Formats: sequence, structure tokens, C-alpha cells
Amino acid sequence: MLTEFLDFLGSLHPLIVHLPIGIILLTIAIDVFMRNKNNSVYRVITMGWFFTFFTGLLAALFGWFLGDNGYYFESQINIHRWSGIALVSLSFIIWVLRYINFRFSKPFNRSLNLTTIILLMVTGHFGGEMTHGQNYLFENLPYIEKEISLVKLSEAKRSKADSLMVYEDLIHPILEEKCMACHNQNHAYGGLNMSAFESMVKGGNSGTGIKKGKPYESLIYKRVSFPHDHPKFMPPAGVPLSYDQIATLEWWIDNGAEKQIPVTSVRNDAKIQRMIEIQYGLDLKEKTFLETLKLASPSPEMLKSIQGEKYFFRYLNPEQSFMDLKFTKKEINTKDLINIQKVKKNIVWLNLMDCMLKDDHLGYLNDFPNLTRLKIQKNPLITNKGIEALKNLENLSELNLYGTRVSDAALITLGQIQSLKKLFLWNTRITPQAIADFKAQHPEIEIVAGL
Amino acid sequence: MHCNDHHHENKNYSRRDFLTKTSLGLGALSLGSMISPVNAYGQSEFLNLLDSEKMKLPHFVPKAKRVIYLFQSGAPSQLDLFDYKPKLNEMFGKEVPKSIIGEQRLTGMSSGQNSFPMAGSLFQFNQHGQSGAWMSELMPYTSKIVDDLCFIKSMYTDAINHDPAMTMIQTGSELPGRPSIGSWLSYGLGTDNKNLPEFVVLVTKGKNGQPLYSRLWGNGFLPSQHQGVQFRSGKDAVLYLDNPPGVSSGIREEQLKSLEKLQRIQHADIGDPEILTKISNYEMAYRMQTSVPEVMDVSDEPEYIFDLYGEDSKNPGTFAANCLLARKLVEKDVKFIQLYHRGWDQHGNLPKDIKKQAKETDQATAALIQDLKQRGLLEDTLVIWGGEFGRTNYSQGMLKPDNYGRDHHPRCFTIFMAGAGVKKGITIGATDDFGYNIAERPVHVHDFQATLMHLLGIDHEKLTFKFQGRRYRLTDVHGNVVKEVLA
Ligand code: HEC
Repeated sequence: MLTEFLDFLGSLHPLIVHLPIGIILLTIAIDVFMRNKNNSVYRVITMGWFFTFFTGLLAALFGWFLGDNGYYFESQINIHRWSGIALVSLSFIIWVLRYINFRFSKPFNRSLNLTTIILLMVTGHFGGEMTHGQNYLFENLPYIEKEISLVKLSEAKRSKADSLMVYEDLIHPILEEKCMACHNQNHAYGGLNMSAFESMVKGGNSGTGIKKGKPYESLIYKRVSFPHDHPKFMPPAGVPLSYDQIATLEWWIDNGAEKQIPVTSVRNDAKIQRMIEIQYGLDLKEKTFLETLKLASPSPEMLKSIQGEKYFFRYLNPEQSFMDLKFTKKEINTKDLINIQKVKKNIVWLNLMDCMLKDDHLGYLNDFPNLTRLKIQKNPLITNKGIEALKNLENLSELNLYGTRVSDAALITLGQIQSLKKLFLWNTRITPQAIADFKAQHPEIEIVAGL
Repeated sequence: MHCNDHHHENKNYSRRDFLTKTSLGLGALSLGSMISPVNAYGQSEFLNLLDSEKMKLPHFVPKAKRVIYLFQSGAPSQLDLFDYKPKLNEMFGKEVPKSIIGEQRLTGMSSGQNSFPMAGSLFQFNQHGQSGAWMSELMPYTSKIVDDLCFIKSMYTDAINHDPAMTMIQTGSELPGRPSIGSWLSYGLGTDNKNLPEFVVLVTKGKNGQPLYSRLWGNGFLPSQHQGVQFRSGKDAVLYLDNPPGVSSGIREEQLKSLEKLQRIQHADIGDPEILTKISNYEMAYRMQTSVPEVMDVSDEPEYIFDLYGEDSKNPGTFAANCLLARKLVEKDVKFIQLYHRGWDQHGNLPKDIKKQAKETDQATAALIQDLKQRGLLEDTLVIWGGEFGRTNYSQGMLKPDNYGRDHHPRCFTIFMAGAGVKKGITIGATDDFGYNIAERPVHVHDFQATLMHLLGIDHEKLTFKFQGRRYRLTDVHGNVVKEVLA
């Protein structure tokens, strides 16, 4: 009963607090601008200081009750609380001195006025920060760059979007900023400690904090998505979570609220992906292997081996490190392949079509680490045996085998190439049935086998 | 890649350099050196730096290595082929609403008409494939492959007459004199096959219609080795390529070697870069004496391939035969193959004439795309089908229940693409219910060109050439890549 009454008084603090502010300013204005201070002016000023003290005392008292209900961070309250009390005390002292007709020297009077105004500004500012959030003062100034993303990611993290984790890098920083001042191991209001993942999931006095997969039954989500004037709305004071932040939290809980879920998994949800990209300044688009590959360009020494009529290559990137190489003659031999091997790291596309390539030649291609596209079509001497060598090509995504003599068994080998995306099998000995089976097993691989 | 050498070696001047630098007298010369502190003749370091940017081509990993552009000259009627507008059939014969035409310009051929009756297409439209693309019955073969195609239904251009519009879409400007797309690509990316030109032109024989000027595949101000080379059907695929009677290949080779020596001396003397171009042209021509007959020879194509392309494909010089040839050129890594098929300019008698036109192109177009696909060539080849502008929704001349004509219409037209780096089975942009104005996602010719360059790994804003005091590019100062097209 009493606490509720005190809580009520506490909520009057923001109302009362503006009375002393007005009175102080008026009092000081009279003191400064009324040059000719006869007796009655002097008395008006003295009375001004009394009312400052009296209303200030009420405001401070109500403020104390308000601060005591646990809805504010101690760290923020402290400055506001004690500068407010200092202000009240100062106004009391000034009033008493004037009341007993103590004679102020002019400079002393001025410095008292000045100290009062400074204290007033400090108190007011920190009070404002508690209700409107940090940075409230400058955020609407023109020419000041507005912070779009509320949570900042370091440049280093941003550049490695692939390794970011939803909880650690997106959710945790939000909760840290908005909740943990009141929900940590020392101050766990409502019995809820959010500083550790496990205790947050476990929840506080009212039970489970997060129900995996069920955002609308998770207390943590419910409390932040209430209407702002709901008595249980969290955070009870300060700036609420933004729409995007709540949506991110919802998405995360909905998707199992795992501690270790990579940010890139939002790719299955275009809307939330876009939201997160904008909020955190990320680019979550799927990168192809080549987009992530960094290579040095081949040395002149290496290039020497592929000079001459037989080879033709061009670079595919301005850094001149990705090579697209083709063999231009009608018949290739082991020596040619050894030459090509010299630049194997740099070759990303290789065209050996229609050059009498044989099975044992393919052995020379088995460790081209960055090869993504291989064209060995129209080489009728290639059979299943040769294909074996290709299964070590870790980054091969496109393989053209049309016009070779591979048959159904080759598909078993090809199925082992994890990176494979496209396979051209027209005019081979592979049967339609085998292709159908392969497609069922490897839906991610597109097969073109004629019309 | 060696462009205007004289920009780099400041001790050599071409005749043009000499004249431009001296014609204004010494006063102008000293003014020039005041403005450009590096020196009066060559370019400043800064500009050289810009030119060296070009050396780093492609600007990013390309999706396409080659382009086949099936140009439909004369402007095919999008309303009878792709852009289905039932409203025009509903309102057949009614006047086009004033609010639709507004104050837009019409050609002199129909602006004098006192009536603009709307002509719904006489042809049946149906949806095809998983993508549900609308196609008219005129293109039964292409209809079967719509899931491999990317339609842009909201293309528009500036010009309203054939020559400027063709010049625009082929060179980026309505005024003649700029390099064509193929020349830019040849200049920017160089060759992938030393025995064939980078840029080959094939024109369907025996067609009438709007004239084709060789400047449409011209190099403009780029070095002349970048111009398109026309391969003709018949005995001499490339004119004057064969040795004259009595001159053996050995004699020809010796002759060329001696000539080159003389040319090198001359180049050392006056430094005109066109001399180098000449040398390389002679060399290329010599190599082409064997490579061209080889590539033109279709005798070892199996019968089912001819069946695929249609019966015309055995008749050299037809669109179908040229499509087959285009595939062979692509297999040889020719970079840009430009086909022209004339006869789409149907101002009157459209229903009858378009049937014939469509029949000539439909099967072979579809066949080409399928053939490239089964060979794995569609992965790095871009195929484009389209004309220079569209045709009006109203009839030019008398509208009859079974006959109408259509005038030129630059406000909207349809093209389609397939292959490397392009999304499959989608339609971009839309026109209004009357098929007159664009309702969604306008794509200007320059946007289309920017996109084409992008697919080949070129930033269209970076590939420039300095000529007559300023830098030019294919898209001039316009163009945005149509991101929706990119796979
Ligand atoms: C200024 C202090 C403060 C901040 C900041 C704050 N809370 Fe609270 N929270 C409390 C207090 C006090 C209680 C207990 C009274 C209540 O249940 O409303 C509480 C209770 C809760 C409870 C209920 C615990 C239980 O089991 O009863 C949840 C859930 C909760 N807070 C979530 C949050 C979340 C999420 C945030 C951050 C967005 C947050 N809080 C921020 C003070 C705060």
C-alpha cells in the first residue's frame, strides 16, 4: 500500500520537476536585469529562492521514490540524483543567507547564480537522457550524421559476414545495450539474468525466458513487443527496441534460438535478410567461390611454360590472377599438360575440348585447386576410368563431358564432387534412367543431356 | 589492345596530330602546353592513367564470353509476337484514347491519319512453360523454350525512324560515326581466337527492307582492326580473301613478310598507329584463308542438327543457315556474332507478312539456343533477339477485320535474351493495357547496352576511347545496368 503510494508520488516527479526550473530562471533573471534593487525587489528575489528550494525539495523527494522502483540504471541515476540534491541544497543556503540579510559581494553573487545554472543544466541533461535515451540531445541536429544502425559492427566483422553468428553478433549486443543494466548477475530484476545465454533462456521468477521456436510464448520477446504503455513493457525506461531489432529477435527465436546459428542462414527469408543488411550495414548475398577467392597473379616464370601457339589464355579479373585457358591444337600430349600444370593455381576455367584427350591425361588435372569450369567435351577417348581423377577437384562447379564415352558408372564418381552444379552429358553412353536416378539423388546438380 | 599509340609515344605524330597541333599556329601550341603542363603534344600523365585502366579488362569476372545478336531489322511487331494485349482485341477498331497518345510524336507516315483505330492482334496468344510467358502462335518453336528466355517488354528508344534507331541500338548514338557494340568489345577484350576476327557479321541473303549500312558494324573512331567482318554465303565468304589465280600460298606468305618489313620501317618513321592495324589485318587475312573455309563448312554436321534448325539451314545465306554458322563460330570463340534479318517493317499487310517473317526465324532461333545449351555453350554465350523499336497499337492505313498495318513505335518494344548470366524464364517490365506506353520498369537502349557490357565483365562507364578531344563510350553519358536481368 505504502510502496504503491510512493510509486504514485514518484510518477509525479516529471511533472513537479519543471516548477523549480522555471522559478530558478525567473529569480536569476530578476537578479540580473533589475539594476535598481530597492527593498521590495530584494524581497522578491529572496522569495524566489525559497520557492526554488521548496519545489525543488518536492521534486527531489518524488524523484527519489521514482528512482527507487528499480526501473532505472543506477549509473545513470547517480549523477542526476546527486546534482539535483546539490541544487536543492544550494538554493536552500542562498535563501537562508538572504533571509538573514547576509551582504553578498557582486562577484560572489554572480558566481552563485552561475553555479546554480550549471547544476541545473547538468541535472536536466541527465534526467533527459534517462527518458529520451543517450544522444537524444544531438540526434536531431542537422549536419550530424545520423546513426542508422543502432548496433554497430566493427568493420572487420562486417567484411566477414559469413562468419557472423546471429546470437553473438546481432542479438547479444542489443540485449546488452537495452536490458543488461537491470538483468545481470548482480542486479537481476525479476530474477532474470540475461548476461549469460543459459540463464537468459532459463528465465526469471515467472519462468522460461525463451521457448525455442516459439517467440510468442517467450517472455523475453513478449515483454519487448507489448504496447509501450503496458506496465510490463521492457525496457521499463529508456529507449525501446526498434522494430527491426524486435523482428530480428523474433526471427531468431522462431528459428530455434540457437546460440550458434550463422547470420547467413537468414538467406531463406528475404525480408529479414534485407532488414539485417540495412540495420548492420552487411552484405549477406551468397558469394560464389570466385568472389571470395584471392590469388596472386602468376609469375613470368610460370607463364613461360604456356607461351606459344598451343595455348591461349586470358585473365578474367583486373588483378590478372584468374586465368581462362584453352588448348588450341587438335592433339594434346603429356608435355602440354605438364606445362599447363605450372599455372594450375591460377586456372579457374579450362578448355580442353576436342583435342584427343585420353584417360591418363586427366590424371594431370587432379589437383587444380581453383578450377571451377572444365570443358573436356568432344574427346571420344575419355571413359569412366579417366573421370576418377576429377573427383579431387574441390571447386569444380561445371563439367562438360558431352561427346565423351563415359557411361552410367561415371555418375558415381561425379556424385562425389561436392561443388558440382552443372553437368553436360549429351552424346555420351549414360542412359536416361541413370540420369533420372542421379537427379533424384543430387537435386542441386543441373544436368543437360540433349534435347 | 594497342590503341592510339601516338598518345603514349610523344615523339611520333600522325598526320592528324600534326594538323591539329599546328593549324592554329604556335600561339595555340604554347597555350596547349600551358594548360597541359606535362607537354604540348602527348597527353598528361593523368589521362594516361585513365587509359591504363583499360588494360585491366575485364573489370570483373565476366558471365558471358561471347554474344550472338540476332538482329531483327525493320522492327518486329511486339503486339503480334510477345506483348499480349486483350484490351486491343476488346476495343478492336475503336480510337486510341487521347490520354494514351497524348502529345507524343508520330511518324509522317501516319500522323496525317484522321483516325487511329486500335488493332488487336489477329494471332492467338497462349501461356507457355513453367514461367507462363505469353507467346503468339507465330512462334511455336520459341514458345517451347520460354523457360530459358528473359524477356524485356519495356524497351524504348529515342529515334522513330529505322536508320537512326538501328544506329542507336548498334552504336549507342543516333548519329553515324560511333563504334558498334562488337567493335567496342573487340577493342576492350581482344581476341580469343587468333585465326578469326573477333566480330563477325552474317546477313540473311535475298531479303528486302530497310538498307543495312556497313557502318552498323563499323569501328567508328576505334582502330580499324576492330570492325565487323562480314561473312557471306557462297564461294567467297570473305571478299578478296583468296589468292588470285596463279599466286601460291607460299608466294603470298613471302609477299606479306616483305610488305610487313616496309610497313614497320614506315611506322618507325611516322608512327601512325593505323600502320600497325594494317599489318595485323594482313596477318589476320592470311590466317583466315584457311580458318574461314573451315568454319563455313557444314558438311560434317549430322542430319538431326539440320532438322533442328529447319530445312532452310541447308540453304546457305538463310537465317537458319546463319544461325548454324553462328554456333560454329561460337565454338571457335568468336566474340561477337551479329546476324541481321531484314523485312520486319510491316506498315501494311502485317498479318500476312509477319507470318512469313516469323516462320523464317522462329525455328532456327529456338534451335540455336537449344543447340548451344546441349553443348554447354549457353553457359558463356549470350543470345539476343530483337529489333530497333516497336510498332503502334493502332492501324496504319485502313483497319479491316483481317488486315492492318502498324507504324513505327519507339515508346515500347520487346526483346529477349538467353544464356550466360541472364535469369531464365522471366519477364522484365510491362506496357500499359493498350500496349502503347511503358507501365513498369522502362529499359532504355543504353540500359540494355550497359547490361550487355556488364555481362561481359565490362563496366560500361570505364571502357572509353579518346577522340577529337573527348572521351567516348558506347553508352555515352547514359545507361544503367538492369540488375533484374542478372542471374
Ligand atoms: C531499467 C531496468 C530494466 C531494464 C533496462 C530492463 N528491465 Fe526487465 N525488468 C526490470 C524489472 C524491475 C523487472 C521486474 C518487474 C517486472 O516483472 O516488470 C523486470 C522483469 C523482466 C522480465 C520478467 C522476468 C520474470 O521472470 O518475471 C523480463 C522477461 C524482462 N524484464 C525482460 C527485459 C528485457 C528483454 C529487457 C531489454 C529489452 C529488459 N527487461 C530491460 C527492469 C528492467
